[in-house]
Amino acid sequence: MTRSRRTSRTSWYLRAGSLAAVAVLFWLVPPFRVVNLQAAHRQTFDATFNPSAFVEKLWTELLPKSVDRATDAASLLAAIQQSPTAAKTKHARSAGLGDTYYYFVKGDGRVVAMTKDGISLSFDPDGATAQVILETGNIFGNSIRDGTGVLDVSDFPNSQDFNAISSEINRRIEERVLPGLRGKAVVGAVVRFAGCAQITDEKTDLNPLRVIPLTAEVR
Amino acid sequence: MTSFIQRFLRLAVLPLFVWVVALFTVSCDKSPAANEASGTASGKPKVAVIISTLNNPWFVVLANTARDRATELGYEATIFDSQNDPAKEAAHYENTLSSGYKAVLFNPTDADGSIANVRKAKAAGVPVFCMDREVNATDAATSQILSDNYSGCVALGQYFVKQVGEQGKYVELLGLVGDNNTWNRSKGFHSVVDRYPGLKMVAQQSADFDRAKALEVLEPIMQANPDIQAVFCGNDAMAMGAYQALVSAGRADKVKVFGFDGADDVVKLIAEGKIAATGMQFPKLMARTAAECADKYLRGERTFPQKTPVAVELVTKDNVAKFGDYGRK
Repeated sequence: MTRSRRTSRTSWYLRAGSLAAVAVLFWLVPPFRVVNLQAAHRQTFDATFNPSAFVEKLWTELLPKSVDRATDAASLLAAIQQSPTAAKTKHARSAGLGDTYYYFVKGDGRVVAMTKDGISLSFDPDGATAQVILETGNIFGNSIRDGTGVLDVSDFPNSQDFNAISSEINRRIEERVLPGLRGKAVVGAVVRFAGCAQITDEKTDLNPLRVIPLTAEVR
Repeated sequence: MTSFIQRFLRLAVLPLFVWVVALFTVSCDKSPAANEASGTASGKPKVAVIISTLNNPWFVVLANTARDRATELGYEATIFDSQNDPAKEAAHYENTLSSGYKAVLFNPTDADGSIANVRKAKAAGVPVFCMDREVNATDAATSQILSDNYSGCVALGQYFVKQVGEQGKYVELLGLVGDNNTWNRSKGFHSVVDRYPGLKMVAQQSADFDRAKALEVLEPIMQANPDIQAVFCGNDAMAMGAYQALVSAGRADKVKVFGFDGADDVVKLIAEGKIAATGMQFPKLMARTAAECADKYLRGERTFPQKTPVAVELVTKDNVAKFGDYGRK
């Protein structure tokens, strides 16, 4: 009886010891981990990159200087009318492979119409047809980042950082450029602007050019 | 005492042994392709195509196109399937580097975790060309040819708002959480949709870019949220799984599904009006470009852009006739 009880106790110790050993093993080499989705995302995203600080320098230094390189809008419109292919070759910028490309344009256009999301401009002194529409609604995408050509994706190890720059640029345009434009523009006024147009489908995107304004001043 | 030792060995050391053997087996596992690769002797220089998974038709197209283009260019190309397992990927690199491969056309399993493999190849003088998925380093791969996922999903987000409206409930199915593409797609989509406060995301869950998992994940979400109007999926395999779940629940005509990839089955369902949209990623273009870059490198060229984005195009019912066979017709 005593021997049996001793054996039973030994067996219990062995089982407990085995379980403890396996538990330690699982702790040392876990077969899986439960991670919150957002926490997992933070692990993949470079926490040291600050898009706001990065864009501050871009906004005050590189982007204003880049306006000098923009193509005159009236000349570009004339070139597109003559030959979209030749205009693309001479003035467009592509960010990589594919059919999408960008025009970086500037000019003085007369307001011919206004809607909630856009201000239509004509460069023809007597024209009433929109040749350029300045986007004044929500700003999305990479038009300014890629159209101005001030940044190179190859300089960014994590493309999420590169894309965060676009979001920050767009936010600044909505906060710093659009309110003044929407507040002062009236039909007949002249707007001096610089900005970028993304061309994905030449049938719909070339006439009128839909430009995201980087700078805009109602004169 | 002897009995105690025997029992201890049986109950404690045996599981430990099984565990170690299992770990060893996983880390040393080689696909049949890998075994085949190490035994080839055609005299042609060898190129490895290491792919995150072949359990998805889109990646099969990427892998086969890379292999075929490398073959056309005069190389003996072999595909290695990492089965979404970084340990298998590391084993493929070990095999590749010890078997005399001259270049790697690479689709990583993990943007951070795969860097070490690429660095190891670089140290061994073997150039690596990433396809579709990036590694989070600009000094490891020779060049990276990558889909512009963010822009593609900005366009999808804008189309989503047009189709669903500015009010409604939706679900998002994410891909692998360790992959940058997952988050670039999600962020591109949310950069648009989050501007409309009336659009409420009732669930955001990962289905690992997997069709069966998407089906499994969406079913309970639909039961808890019977009034959803749309599902945004981070790839087309998950869109197919989501569509299948909706068909089973009799809700396919009420809930709009959005995918990403440009897979043939989804493009066909868009033409039939059953799936709302996808983003065409051009896997054949990326794979061919990677193979051609590898060829140029092996012929002596050394100047390559670190990253080349490939534009993604929105595919909807209005323009679906232009697309097919993983690209433009």
